[in-house]
This record gives sequence, C-alpha cells and structure tokens, in this order.
Amino acid sequence: MKSVRMLLAFVRRDFQIEVSYRTSFVLQFFGIFFTVLLWYFISGVLSAPKGTPGLEGLDYFSYVLLGVALSHYLTMAMMAFAGKIRNEQVTGTLEAMLVTPASIGTIVLGSSLWDFLLTSIKVVVYLAVGWLFFGVALKVSGFLPSLLILALTILAFSGIGILSAAFILYLKRGDPITYLVASGSALMGGVFFPPEAMPRWLGRWSSFLPITYALRALRRALLRGSRMADLLPDIEALALFVVLLLPLGVLAFRFAVRKARQEGSLVQY
Amino acid sequence: MSPTPAIQAERLGKIYVKRRSLREMALRPFRGPERVTGLSDVSLQVETGEIFGLLGPNGAGKTTLLKILACLVLPTEGRARVDGIDVARDDRAVKRAIGFASADERSFYWRLTGRENLIFFGRLYGLDPAAAARRVADLIDAIDLGDAADQQFMSLSSGMRQRLAIARALLHAPRLLCLDEPTRSLDPIAAKHLRRFIATTLNRERGMTILLATHNLQEAEEICGRVAILHHGRVLRQGRVGEITAGLPGRDQYVLSIRGLQAPLPRDGRWEIADGIPEDGVLRVGAAVERGGEALSDLLRAILERRGTILSCNRREPGLQEIFDRLEEAG
Repeated sequence: MKSVRMLLAFVRRDFQIEVSYRTSFVLQFFGIFFTVLLWYFISGVLSAPKGTPGLEGLDYFSYVLLGVALSHYLTMAMMAFAGKIRNEQVTGTLEAMLVTPASIGTIVLGSSLWDFLLTSIKVVVYLAVGWLFFGVALKVSGFLPSLLILALTILAFSGIGILSAAFILYLKRGDPITYLVASGSALMGGVFFPPEAMPRWLGRWSSFLPITYALRALRRALLRGSRMADLLPDIEALALFVVLLLPLGVLAFRFAVRKARQEGSLVQY
Repeated sequence: MSPTPAIQAERLGKIYVKRRSLREMALRPFRGPERVTGLSDVSLQVETGEIFGLLGPNGAGKTTLLKILACLVLPTEGRARVDGIDVARDDRAVKRAIGFASADERSFYWRLTGRENLIFFGRLYGLDPAAAARRVADLIDAIDLGDAADQQFMSLSSGMRQRLAIARALLHAPRLLCLDEPTRSLDPIAAKHLRRFIATTLNRERGMTILLATHNLQEAEEICGRVAILHHGRVLRQGRVGEITAGLPGRDQYVLSIRGLQAPLPRDGRWEIADGIPEDGVLRVGAAVERGGEALSDLLRAILERRGTILSCNRREPGLQEIFDRLEEAG
C-alpha cells in the first residue's frame, strides 16, 4: 500500500511539473491532430491495395495510425526510464530520493509512471481523432482484449526501458539498447509498413521485437474485431517477452545500482 | 550498559576506481585502472545528542564518509553503523534513522514550490498525503520559510534553498542529521542564523545528534562539541577544537605590539621573531615561541629590559591549513 502511495506521489509530482508548462501541455494534444492529418494525406498518396501481404485486409491509413500511436509507447519506454534517471542524476534529485527509504524499484517505476499515463491518453486521442474525423472503423468488441495487449506491451517495453536505464546509471552515456531496439522496431516492427514488405531475411528479425506482436494483436483486435482465440498466439508471445525482459531489466538495474554504489558513481553523470 | 552510539565507524576505507577512457585502454592495454583513496582507516564514534564536526578541506573525505552513512556509497573496507545498524546490511533501516542534507542546493524540482517539493519527498518517506502536508507545514514554521514556501523553487535564494534542504532531511523526524557544508553558499548573516538553528533548535531543543561536515574552523569551533580533522581521507586528530589546536606540535604563534624598543631583541633558540616595520612608533611583530617552560616570559622580559612597552601580546590561533600542515608534519 505504501509503495502504491509513493507511486501516486510521483504521478502527482510529474503532473504538477507538466502543467506548469501550460502552453506545451495543451499544444502536444493539438499536435496529435496534425500528425494524424499528415498520415491521412500520406496514406492517400501511398494507398496500398487491401490485399497487400501483412496489411491483413486493412487500409493503409488505419494500419499506420495504430502503428504510429503504439510506437509512442516504445519511444516513451525507451526515453522515460533512462531519460528520467539521467535527468534526476543531473539535477541532483536522484541522490535526494535515494536517501529516502523508497526502494529503487519504486523510484524507477514511479519516475516513468506519469509518462506512461500521458502516453496512454495520447494513444486514446490518436484513435479517437482517427475514428471521429478520418473514418477509422474501430471495433468495440476489441476494446477489452486491447487493454490486455496494451498492459503486456507496457510491461515488455518497461523491461527494455529499465535495461536501458541500467546502462545509463552505470555507463552514464552510450546506451546501446535504446538505439538498437528503437531503430529496429521502427524499421522492422510493422510500425509504418508490414515486415512482409521487406526482404525475407530482414523481415525475419521482426519476430525478435515485442512491438511486432503488440501491433499485430492490437490491429486485429481493434480494427478487425478478431476473437480472443485468434489473438492468443501474439498475446502469448508478448507474455513471453514480459517474462524474459522485465526480470532481466530489474536484475540489470539492481546490478548497476550496486556497482554504482561500490564505485561511488550513483549520482555522477 | 552504555547507550548505542549514534554513529560508529571502524577502520572504514573507500577506494575509488577511476574508469579508463577508450584512448587510455588502447594506449596502455595492460595497465590497471587508477585507484584513488577516498577514505583510509577511519574510526570514529559520535555519541547520541552531540554535534560532531568533520573538518577538512575539499577532497578530505568528508562527503564520502557522509555518503557511506547515508547508504549512497558502499565502503571498500571496515564497517559503519548508524544507531547500531550496519549501513552495508540494512540500508532501509539506516535511511529511516538518518536525515541527510547534501551540499547540492539544486537538488529539488525547480518548477514546483518549496511546499510541493517537501510534500513529494515526505511521501517517499512513507507519509500519507495528509500527514505529509501537516509535517511540511510544521517544518515550514520551524525553519522560518514563511511565504517563500509557496514560491517556485527556482525563485528562492540560496539561504532559503539550504533551509529547504534541511527541512527535507527532517521530514521523517530522524534522530540523526548529517549536514554536508550547509553554510557553504550562504552570506555571513544567513550562515550565522543557520548555525544558531542547528545548535539551538535542532540539537539543544530537539535533542538531535548532528554530524556536520565543514571546512570552516570557526564554524566547527562555534557549534561542534567535538571534531575529527580529515585530510587525504585519514583522520588526523579527534577531540575538541581548542584541545586539538592547543596540542598541536610546534611553536605557539603570538602577535606583539611594542613601543619604544631601544635595542634589538636577543637571539634565542626558543623563539623566532619575524621582521616588523614600525608604524607611528609601534612595532608589530609575529613571534613563534616554544611551548611550555619560560620561553614566553623570558621573551617579554627581554622586551621590557630594552625599554619596550608591550601594548598587546595576542596568541594567534592557527588556521585550518596550518593545522593540517602541522599535524601532517608531525605524522
């Protein structure tokens, strides 16, 4: 219970900081409308036949809208954990938090919780704008499975994010995880085009990326209204990523904290 | 049975291993990493209820010692206990017992007010929202933050920021408070107020044990019951400042003002007189005089015999650097 209260304190803190930049807070939501509009026109030019392999019978605009919306989670997970930790190191607030009895797990999770909430709101806004103004047909039956898919996606991406934060904490810079996963996901994860559109040897790498399964399952649930049984293989794959990546991230972070305490570099940057 | 000391350090040591750059590794692949001693064989005990000073110049190891006690850095060797709890074994229990205010006055969220900052950190100490708000209101009164508490942190003065840092360290009502150079960036008046707050309100009235790192000898003498003098990571001496300076090896330093001296003072192995230039008939000279025995009396007698009038004879207290030099010379 205490840990939950602490996590809520982080959310409150970050909300207070976020709204202290009033204009930017409001503008980021307007920005979503323009991004959707941009992709609407691009997809008009690039209109691919619905039978294109990997599009699964969807029109390109609906396909890319979900890709762009969900890729925010990935970008955020990559940036939030490592970026927040580095920022707290630089401002000296990490040290101030580390002298409290709050566990390191709570500090890391709490520091990125607001970003996850804000990104979730943004994803909903993306879909709502697409649905209300650009005729994207969302299937109501897919909402519930989508929540499960999103939860697993967040956890899997968190594992990568925490791993990335461990690198930042220990190496201070030169975090290879962010670069590799973010670039790989953007290229091969099915964000902007299906992996099937790439040469086979390159497209195969997409099966090592959690975003591939997250996007496929979410598109099937929300845009095609697929049944749970059809979504299960992707959900299981996502769950496997969670089981592998989350403990790996937490272990790596613990190791990094211990090393940094030994070296006395916990708050160096 | 004697009460558990607030802090106990036994043969504490910390070696920092400097990371090598890629260039260094390429140029000298077989050379090991550079090791820097942060602390070496430090043993000290801080009793409950006292103000104990860690006195030393920059790089002496004061902050390293405080960070070990606050569980931010692990010692390489030896042991440290806070309220009887080993810092390397149960860091959460230690963190509940200790309040730590670092020298870094930036370590707050600049877009939040002082009050919002304190409430956030209060909740990290496990206080529920209502309890955190009450505790913060009490502390704002106690440290006399007034209306400044509701201004954004970025608009606060250095003095207010430092007070806020101390308030943060007091959020969980710890028994022990570690302060790292709290007056470093304050003007003399603000520093005096803060020293009074530490000595009177926190120590005398609330009975808190305080470990204060400082490089200001006067500050240590003013508020610390005992001090440990740290230099290059080692404890050179421990005790009261007066006792340490009185027991320094070497000669005592005096400043003499003499009028009407008719002849040069005799040479004597027991004293050394620096050359002085008379101003308005008054000669001001520094004298290094052998401690103990009758050296000072003999010097003053020699002045009187040469028809000099001694206007003043003041012992000059050694500065921090001089104390380090003399203690180091003595090994």
